[in-house]
Amino acid sequence: MKKVLIAVFALTLGVVFGLGTGIGFASSSRDYISIVGSSTVYPFATVVAEKFGKITAFKTPKIESTGSGGGHKLFGSGVGVQYPDITNSSRRIKKSELEKAMANGVKEIVEVKIGYDGIVIANSKKGPSFQLTRKDLFLALAKNVPTGDEAGKLTPNPYKTWKEVNALLPDVKIEVLGPPPTSGTRDAFVELAMEGGADEIDWIKALAKTDKKAYQALCQTIREDGAYIEAGENDNLIVQKLSANPAALGIFGFSYLDQNTDKIQGSLVDGVSPTFEAIADGSYPVSRPLYFYVKKVHVQTIPGMKEFLAEFTSEKAWGEEGYLTDKGLIPMPEAERKLFKENVATLKPLSLGDL
Amino acid sequence: MVRERMSPSNLLLVLLVLTTAGYYLGRRRAFSVVKNDGGPRVLHSRPSYYGALTALWCAVPALVVFCFWLAFESRIITHIVVAALPEEMLTLSGGRLNLLVNDIKNLVEGNIVAGSISPALRAAADHYQELNAISHAALAVIVLVISIGAVLWIQRCISPGLRARNHVETLVKYILIACSTLAIFTTIGIVLSVLYEAIRFFKIVPIHQFLLGLEWSPQMAIRADQVGASGAFGVIPVFMGTLLISAIAMCVSVPVGLMSAIYLCEYADKRFRAVAKPLLEILAGIPTVVYGFFAALIVAPLIRNTGATLGLSVSSESALAAGLVMGIMIIPFVSSLSDDVINAVPQSLRDGALALGSTHSETICRVVLPAALPGIVGGVLLAVSRAIGETMIVVMAAGLSANLTLNPLKTVTTITVQIVTLLVGDQEFDSPKTLAAFALGLLLFVVTLVLNVVALVVVRKYREQYE
Amino acid sequence: MNKSENMASSAQGRQLRTMDIVNRGLARRYRAERRFKRFGLSAILLSLAFLAVLFISIFANGYTAFQQTFIQLEVFLDPLKIDKEDLGSANYQGLVRESLAKTFPAVKNRADKRKLYGMVSSGASFDLRKFVQKNRHEIGNTIRIWVPADDDVDMLIKGHILRDVPESERRMDDTQIAWVDHFQHQLRIKQEFNMTFFTGGDSREPELAGIWGAVCGSLYTLLVTLCLSFPIGVATAIYLEEFAPTNRWTDVVEVNINNLAAVPSIVFGLLGLAVFLNFFGLPRSAPLVGGLVLTLMTLPTIIIAGRASLKSVPPSIREAALGIGASKTQMVAHHVLPLAMPGMLTGTIIGMAQALGETAPLLMIGMVAFIVDIPGGFTDPATVLPVQIFLWADSPERAFLEKTSAAIMVLLLFLVIMNGLAVVLRKKFERRW
Repeated sequence: MKKVLIAVFALTLGVVFGLGTGIGFASSSRDYISIVGSSTVYPFATVVAEKFGKITAFKTPKIESTGSGGGHKLFGSGVGVQYPDITNSSRRIKKSELEKAMANGVKEIVEVKIGYDGIVIANSKKGPSFQLTRKDLFLALAKNVPTGDEAGKLTPNPYKTWKEVNALLPDVKIEVLGPPPTSGTRDAFVELAMEGGADEIDWIKALAKTDKKAYQALCQTIREDGAYIEAGENDNLIVQKLSANPAALGIFGFSYLDQNTDKIQGSLVDGVSPTFEAIADGSYPVSRPLYFYVKKVHVQTIPGMKEFLAEFTSEKAWGEEGYLTDKGLIPMPEAERKLFKENVATLKPLSLGDL
Repeated sequence: MVRERMSPSNLLLVLLVLTTAGYYLGRRRAFSVVKNDGGPRVLHSRPSYYGALTALWCAVPALVVFCFWLAFESRIITHIVVAALPEEMLTLSGGRLNLLVNDIKNLVEGNIVAGSISPALRAAADHYQELNAISHAALAVIVLVISIGAVLWIQRCISPGLRARNHVETLVKYILIACSTLAIFTTIGIVLSVLYEAIRFFKIVPIHQFLLGLEWSPQMAIRADQVGASGAFGVIPVFMGTLLISAIAMCVSVPVGLMSAIYLCEYADKRFRAVAKPLLEILAGIPTVVYGFFAALIVAPLIRNTGATLGLSVSSESALAAGLVMGIMIIPFVSSLSDDVINAVPQSLRDGALALGSTHSETICRVVLPAALPGIVGGVLLAVSRAIGETMIVVMAAGLSANLTLNPLKTVTTITVQIVTLLVGDQEFDSPKTLAAFALGLLLFVVTLVLNVVALVVVRKYREQYE
Repeated sequence: MNKSENMASSAQGRQLRTMDIVNRGLARRYRAERRFKRFGLSAILLSLAFLAVLFISIFANGYTAFQQTFIQLEVFLDPLKIDKEDLGSANYQGLVRESLAKTFPAVKNRADKRKLYGMVSSGASFDLRKFVQKNRHEIGNTIRIWVPADDDVDMLIKGHILRDVPESERRMDDTQIAWVDHFQHQLRIKQEFNMTFFTGGDSREPELAGIWGAVCGSLYTLLVTLCLSFPIGVATAIYLEEFAPTNRWTDVVEVNINNLAAVPSIVFGLLGLAVFLNFFGLPRSAPLVGGLVLTLMTLPTIIIAGRASLKSVPPSIREAALGIGASKTQMVAHHVLPLAMPGMLTGTIIGMAQALGETAPLLMIGMVAFIVDIPGGFTDPATVLPVQIFLWADSPERAFLEKTSAAIMVLLLFLVIMNGLAVVLRKKFERRW
């Protein structure tokens, strides 16, 4: 009986203590920066945060990896310590998201573009090297493709091997590991590579002017018959799957290619190899901007915000030779860097008209 | 934070000491009341029950007060401090005011504060600190008065006729009941937290399309200026995928797990059992990320290569790989729980069967297993549940393409995987894509609920026949 | 008579035949017996083989993470550059770079210099700062200090970057390897036990990354989970199995619990977000909230296992206790519960192991995060071991591969300790009747 009584008592005490302290501290203050958002920006934001935490007396910011959508949702929920100060985003904020944020009292949001991320198409070193064009990508991956020369005629994608798409390509089964439709990487890939490829077919390009919806539906739908394998957001896993399966191609961020040059090779797209320089000067066609968004009112109150923003926008971080480039971020041209640094310094808010 | 002598956690410790003291006081009191009337024999209950009663009365009311106080303390103090702020600060909007309060609290706790500290802010911080100290002191006094008062009162009440055991047992029973209702609250919480978003989803995608659709392909546009490609939200392929992978997993885990349990229980010597059982249990604890890598990088290529040599077309991300590895993971759910149950079957049953001349294996199959069946079924059901709810392995090994197929060599996807990828995606949170995650969660919840109700009814019928 | 004789002989014959059947069947039955036993043994060996394969592959990938490469630098602590009054703010990075430049005076080109400076970890300057703050009398002298090497150097020394592949396919080019060789030649490179890994918080630099923060987070979270789920789970199991009347309400509770076991863990995360964060206003990313969510998640496991083990206690025990006048509570507490304890502990251990390895529900409550500072309490932002493993597994840097495996090893150690505890407890309680 004694033992049981002690157990019962420990139980009540445990419950009470847990809830008591929890509720007691629930409204406690926050003295660190809270950042949420995209898993693509995460590896870069964390580097800055860590440097910032070591150099200054402030606490290291907390960075959550929630995905861009979840990040904007949290960020736009309101002003106050329980809401994050910054959200990372692998795409620009949507008008509806900004409107919602404004309705929730987040009136002034500062937009900061931090640089570019190259999207590479790569395969194992053991396999043949690919020299793709965007048109090849479109024809190999779109759900419906034009066959023959007749304008407007579409058939479900019949191609099984790369050689069928383009006689110059190796005779290998089409097997592409890429991000799922919920991913910003996929979105950017579709827009930059597939649309770019479709534009090389004249009647599709013309379609863009006459029927934009049909055009986009054609360009942006990826085939679902097993040639394109949705492989989740873990790019490391894609890299390792590629080395296990030399026939497959993979689509992922540049930094993963950069770290694994001994295992995988980047395919040339439109004759340009995905190197740091080629992506930076814009000759490599598939790259997309990365952003973060800041609540202006929080800059005044959350300790360390100003200093963190200054660190992020300093040349030694995002400059051409900054430490972010070591991690694979492609820097913006100097003029653009200057512009955004200026925006951050003056905390110029984003307006609905900008989008 | 400024250290206080009577901080809430210290107070809790004091209360703990008081309660322990209460127990012994109550017990001693019970002894002393009957010292001259024939000793503890004449007491209604055994002396420790009087102690327990005292301790319970000492602790429970004081703890309730303690909790309520702490729950509202901070809010009330903040309110008072804010009310005393200068006029121009009060005109700020709610969110801004909240940030201001954060400043004050950071000041109180000695953290770094952004921006300059105005005298008004400093004054508010001092005010806050002062109120906090007062409040804690008051709390300490009230809690101590309540608990000491309770101890004294019970001391006075203790008499040989006091039905202490009944009181304590009633209280214990209420605590037990309270614990068991937690499950109900959890269910209500889950339903409430997914229902709202799910309803929003069903406003966009009609419910019959969702339930009866044969195609799952959430290729909708992420941005408004893009046009959604196809946006098919038919749940059947996803559901079939879940069932397929779970079925494969059970095909691995049930035979292996059950045979392991039988061997451990009936054949293995003590030392082997002592080592093997915890080792098996480790399988359940290995993080699923590890299994995911294992499935994606070792098992899946193996299956694909074997398939290629046999002339089968195997997708590089087959349901088989994910299912097999998941099966390994849930072996301990079957083996460990069955093992405990088999072990608990009375030895007399075995002895009886063996004495009649049956071999060991016949004893097990015909006597021990049927006796242990309810427990084994419980373990298996738990394993099925785990298989349905598992995410990471499938994300990594089985991919995300929703194919409506029963071929284990094809790629399939599961409900949980879809929920995770939809929730952490880059798309706008209010798009049907994200909301679909909530609908899927709700659907899975409802389906398993129905299955469980059916299972309960069936099990009950079955049991009535045999008991 | 004939008839009776016949009957007798046929009876005898039948008897003989029965024995024959038994005897004839015996070999088959023994074979079946042996086969059955072999099945059992092979099932166990199969599971253990899986375990061994997993362990070996993890160990093979991860054991190198416990070693870290250090480079010895000769640093001149220039009194002009270090303000004695303000030791913290001197440009230590500059000093480190100066020292490297002095070692290789031939390097002039800007790009090469960048590569050279990248040989040592970015943590080197903080190590130097620490050193100076401890030994201020050394200012003005040239000191020798071991600093962690960059992860690429580390990978090269450990053989994860191969020297014989073409230069263009390597993370390090020939000049960098020549520098490393130069250091090695002078015995200024050593491998040492990687303390940082066990004492540090998360970092984006693999050579500075540690798991202590995640371990603390896991401890706090599991403490909350254990304190809540074990007592509540046991209490619920006892109530449902021993006290509850069979009525609608009990059925509802029972179905609910079975159902909760099948709810995917991420849905518990949604619940935590809605209830604990939004409704109760508890802080994001706190182990307290993580613990509460995991409690709700593990409760069904513990309850179901607890009920199974209560069910297996023979009714005779209960009847005996009640028969000699024990109350129902006494019967349960003194006789039934001790006998059911091993099963309950098994359930708890499995539940806790599941909680220890869980990532998905923590995603929604903000614990999948980059947190450098070691959490100091139940409400500090924290992350847990499996999340750390998940985040490292997703990091591009090659060196995180071994860290991932090493972190898994630590997690497994945790598990082994927990299981060991359960074994001891189980031994104490277990009996067969």
